[in-house]
Amino acid sequence: MTLDLIGQLAWTGFATATYYSLFAMAFALVLKVNRVWDFAQAGTMVFAYFALYVAYIELEWSLVPGLLVGLVVTVAVALMLERFGFDVFRRRNSSILTFFIFTIVFSQFAIYLAELVFGTEPKTLTPTLISPVFMVGKIAVSHWDLKAIAVTGSLTLALYIFMRHTREGERLVAVADNPDLAEAYGISRQRAYAVSMTISAVLLLGGIYLFGTKAALFPSTPLNRLLVYAVIATILAGIGNVFAAGVAAVLLSLLQAFSILVIGSKWQALLAYVLIFVTIIFFPRGVALPERLSGLRRPAGPSSSDDDEGAAGEGVPAAEPRKR
Amino acid sequence: MEYVYTILILSCVNVILASGFNLILGYGGLVSIAHPIFYAIGGYVSALVSMKLGVPPIFALVIGTMVAAVASIGLSLPSLRISGDYLVIASIGFQLGLVHILNNLELTGQAGGLSNIPSIIEVPGRALVFSLIMIAIAGLCVLVIRKLVNGDFGRAIIAMRDDEEAFSALGRNPIRLKVVIFAVGSGMAGFAGSLYAHFFLYLTPDDFGIFTSAALLTMVVVGGAATTWGPVVGAVLLTVLPEAIKFLDLPVSIMAPLQGVIFTLLVIFFLYARPQGLLGGARRGGGLEVWASRSAYRGPEGGET
Repeated sequence: MTLDLIGQLAWTGFATATYYSLFAMAFALVLKVNRVWDFAQAGTMVFAYFALYVAYIELEWSLVPGLLVGLVVTVAVALMLERFGFDVFRRRNSSILTFFIFTIVFSQFAIYLAELVFGTEPKTLTPTLISPVFMVGKIAVSHWDLKAIAVTGSLTLALYIFMRHTREGERLVAVADNPDLAEAYGISRQRAYAVSMTISAVLLLGGIYLFGTKAALFPSTPLNRLLVYAVIATILAGIGNVFAAGVAAVLLSLLQAFSILVIGSKWQALLAYVLIFVTIIFFPRGVALPERLSGLRRPAGPSSSDDDEGAAGEGVPAAEPRKR
Repeated sequence: MEYVYTILILSCVNVILASGFNLILGYGGLVSIAHPIFYAIGGYVSALVSMKLGVPPIFALVIGTMVAAVASIGLSLPSLRISGDYLVIASIGFQLGLVHILNNLELTGQAGGLSNIPSIIEVPGRALVFSLIMIAIAGLCVLVIRKLVNGDFGRAIIAMRDDEEAFSALGRNPIRLKVVIFAVGSGMAGFAGSLYAHFFLYLTPDDFGIFTSAALLTMVVVGGAATTWGPVVGAVLLTVLPEAIKFLDLPVSIMAPLQGVIFTLLVIFFLYARPQGLLGGARRGGGLEVWASRSAYRGPEGGET
């Protein structure tokens, strides 16, 4: 093992983490605002992917029109899920069973539909997956790597600005914290749910576009692999921490990249499934940072000791203040 | 007639599977997509001990069942200690992980699976004899479930379902009850898997993937969760229906995904239009919404919101 190898693995792992990070943030956002474990996102990914596939491969459209088609389809699917799925079951006071079954079965439906229409062979979004490579020292950097980092960085920054510096973002946070109180202040929770699903659709589209330009996708890949990492990252970050979920996804991807040093490639996929158990057993509330690292230390004062006790709750990372 | 006996045997296997899954999902309120994996564990363990260790199939069947039940504790206990939400997540990882292992482990034949599994009976008219035995076994399993849920055990389940906090306050342990429910249901799946292995004499990992999860969910939801006979009706329907589709003479590459689309659409349709399923209802009770009064969904447990 050399430093060059470690550097290459780190870089490749980081670049691969881009789409995992987007999927994780999308999952965490819907869990935070809509309060749904949205396993249907695997199905949404399938619709997004094959919308792009039709645009780019079947119709041979260029980048922007293809992305627009993908965006329309993905957002439509997400909003339909919210309007005709989650909202209906919420109004009926349906049990958690119903939500879980609906989301999982919807994803399965999307997979079977894709297999029926497009076949079970793996598909890519570009005629070739080979991307030009150049060397930075001893590390090979591909154009795809840079594109992926740029896309993910831009989307993450846009999400950050939206959540922190826009009224709509503040409304999302208000509904996430207390939907009833938010409505009392005149904030529409239905609108917040719709906005949240729309944003998650954009993130999913970005992620699946990056994935499809790097690797071939089987219709079952989103459910079998992509969603699993999003779920693990969301739990590790602590429920409600969107950006921390993105960071956790990066760390998971790096872990998987370095795992090649100790386990065979055919067992690498197993790592994600083992991580689910490790996460649930040892970090069910997320990874709790020491208070001094969590950025939550408040100035000394009469009430600060009580606030600190509450604020240093589990799973609150440095990246995000507690209420967000 | 061989074909008819095979369909009959498959229907009985599915009845056992669906009844066990109904105990977990319908009565226990535990969502898990890993039920096919206990089916697989039962089948593979039973097949391997009889093939590699020379254990007679009748004893191998018992071993397969017990291993499946014990394995289920490994999944349910750590997850349920945290929350019911996490059982779903853990079950996804458990199923995908074990299917991956089955596909890559030499002992289990990798993707090619196991063949030449010893048969549990070797008599003339094997298929007819086995189908009669399976009808009796499936009937017995359904009656055992019925007896369970109508007795003290069933009353405990209903009490836990209606108010888990009050149930705990009375000194009962809901986690233990859920683990027992999960183990019994998964043991039945292992039993079904063992029977399947020792009749069809062949196992492949493809039999235990998400398609089987979707099919089982369909059987229980369509038939009527938390009812005794609902899963039976669902299992028979969902075994016969794909055979009817086969007469359309479609290519194999279309047949499987078409069945999957039909199964999943059926579940979604019933979730909307008739969540109590075909046999559930106001008079009979049952259906997924028996859980609605207790656990109208408020969001993830342990959330920071």
